[in-house]
Amino acid sequence: METVLFILFGAIAVCGAIMVVTRKHPMASALYLILTLFAVAALFVLRQAHFLAAIQVIIYAGAVVVLFIFVIMLINVPEDRLPVERATTMRVLGVLAAGFFILESAVLARRFWMPIGPVAEVGTVEAVGRALFTDYLLAFEITSVLLLAAVIGAIALAKRKI
Amino acid sequence: MIAPSAYLLLSAILFGIGVVGVVARKNILIILMSVELMLNGVNVAFVAAGSYLGDAAGGVFAFMVMTVAAAEAAVGLALLIALYRLKETVDITELKVLKW
Amino acid sequence: MFLGNLASLRYFLPEFAVTATILLLVVLHVVTKSPRSTASGFLSLLGVGAAIFLAGVAPAGAGRSIFEGMVAHDGFAVFFKVLTALATLVVIFMSMDSRDLAGRSQAEYYIFLLSTLLGMFLLSSATDIVMLYLALELVSIPSYLLAGYLKGQERSTEAAMKYVVYGATASGVMIYGFSILFGLTGSTQVAEIGRSLAAGKATLPMLLASVMVAVGFGYKIAAVPFHMWSPDVYEGAPTPATAFFSVGPKAAGFAVLVRFYYTVFAAADPGTGLWRLTSAVDWPFLFAALSALTMTVGNLVAVKQSNVKRLLAYSSIAHAGYMLMGFVLLSSAGIEAILFYLVVYLFMNLGAFYVVVLVSNATRGEEISDFTGLGSRAPFAAVALSIFLFALTGIPPFSGFIGKVYLFAEVIHRGVYWLAVVAALNSVVSLYYYTRIVRAMFFEEPKDASAIPVPAVSGALLVLLVAPTLILGVYWEPVARIAADSVRMLAF
Repeated sequence: METVLFILFGAIAVCGAIMVVTRKHPMASALYLILTLFAVAALFVLRQAHFLAAIQVIIYAGAVVVLFIFVIMLINVPEDRLPVERATTMRVLGVLAAGFFILESAVLARRFWMPIGPVAEVGTVEAVGRALFTDYLLAFEITSVLLLAAVIGAIALAKRKI
Repeated sequence: MIAPSAYLLLSAILFGIGVVGVVARKNILIILMSVELMLNGVNVAFVAAGSYLGDAAGGVFAFMVMTVAAAEAAVGLALLIALYRLKETVDITELKVLKW
Repeated sequence: MFLGNLASLRYFLPEFAVTATILLLVVLHVVTKSPRSTASGFLSLLGVGAAIFLAGVAPAGAGRSIFEGMVAHDGFAVFFKVLTALATLVVIFMSMDSRDLAGRSQAEYYIFLLSTLLGMFLLSSATDIVMLYLALELVSIPSYLLAGYLKGQERSTEAAMKYVVYGATASGVMIYGFSILFGLTGSTQVAEIGRSLAAGKATLPMLLASVMVAVGFGYKIAAVPFHMWSPDVYEGAPTPATAFFSVGPKAAGFAVLVRFYYTVFAAADPGTGLWRLTSAVDWPFLFAALSALTMTVGNLVAVKQSNVKRLLAYSSIAHAGYMLMGFVLLSSAGIEAILFYLVVYLFMNLGAFYVVVLVSNATRGEEISDFTGLGSRAPFAAVALSIFLFALTGIPPFSGFIGKVYLFAEVIHRGVYWLAVVAALNSVVSLYYYTRIVRAMFFEEPKDASAIPVPAVSGALLVLLVAPTLILGVYWEPVARIAADSVRMLAF
């Protein structure tokens, strides 16, 4: 059962990702991005990472992609002014390099040695929360400064006049 | 049970597709979305590694990556709005006031 | 042993000072409603001054691991905290003087500057990859905002946009490397990762991980081939921010580079001051190649630049290449040389940028042609800039020479002759483009010969930057000793 679900959601995630990078209009890409994010959330559930699956849907699909969609609608580039994609040498090389990278990682993943620990519920709200507020408390607090700077920056840059 | 390597392979594929998007596309909006794909690939690896190793750190790291991704997207999109007001373009190859 | 969260608070005072200042700046901005006032500049000066004081007075002793192993409090971290805070202090002075920024809202600018400073503090002390990643992003994200601060100027916004795309990609590659390390070892502690890797035999994944992490760090220190963003960002950003990028984040990048690679992929041999590789991955060779490439590309491209800011950008790429030489030697003396070089580089590079700020305030431009005749228009600034440029070239009796002597001596001592030869040839090339500016200032007729006024305060700050550049050229032992102590306390 787990295998079937993994293959199903993995395939959806990969197909969605391919669609994201191949669509001409960014709005289509954004919608496919949501598809990929949901599929990845489902994969998180398969790994018993329930908390992260919820966060993935609420924050990632629900907030970040909505932000993308807002911006796409706000600047509303006319269809005929969208960048025309042409295959230049540089970019073909880039795609080849990235393809090589995937291949290498695939080889790597097959040889990957990973100790399989005791089965533990590590992705629940309780487990993640405990780690977040004990061992990783400082990191958690620092994200607040990061987000503060990002919020102020986003407002300062997108506002017409400060 | 599925072997860890299946998740790692999936993570590599998602990451790789993201890299292709970043190098090959011209539309800055899609480049930023491709970066999100890369980060998602990384998150799959972290969550899978964390659950197989029985270590909550994987989940914590994925959580931090999401936070940073949100901040990065907000800043990137705000800059894009500012840029579009000035130049009326979302094409990264048209950014050539500055060059070698 | 790790210190708990509450017990760690008293070793975290400099960071508190910076965070408190950030929050006060937000409040000040809301309360005063006069965003263009200089109050926020003075408040930031106060905050950073307090941070330097707090970082300097708290002796690190043997070093300890605080916040459950998130960050280290040791001499190495304290050295970089003082260094980066000092750079920020000078940059705040510079910003208050710059006409680029006058007439714009100030508080946000200083908030970004101080957030970056907090990020650099954490980056130089992080001993956990979660913390390390967050600290790197805390340096990067406000940096994007600083680069794009001149909203309405095409080149500033454009530079920031490129910076975001490059930065986000580089950090994405870096955490992919981290995920491999985490998967291999099951730990996020750098020391623990190092121990597990030394025992394991996973060569290929380690090679991949070390290269991917190098992408993230290499981008931060602007090493070739991850330097593509830096000339554009340096040219487009407000000049004080450019000065800041060329010193602060670069220093913090070196701190994390040394701490990470020397902990994860090497182990110290007690007593000898040497390290040995614990993995089959020959990263010192990789970085030696990067070092040679970085200085060569930086210097060769700098030769044909006509914009002084862009020229200094390429020159700072080249300097990152020189400093990388110390990184690949696996010896304490090599790291000492980097730390010492960073100190002299701080003064000479910030000084050069400060003169650029003063000149472009008057001429509204940063082309070499704007500097012609500076020798008669503003003699003091011209002499100061010449001193900084000669120091950057590495000519005695200026401080840059001593910095290079330390680096070269150690490279030759460790027998990496080819790298020393490449670096020496590069120094000769750099002489050419630095003297081009000096020639323009003293031997070419200006289009407009009116005097450029240098305010007394700016003159005083310039003196404060010239003095260390001269003094460290003849009396450098105290700084060298501090650098040596800081390396010895490198504890995890």
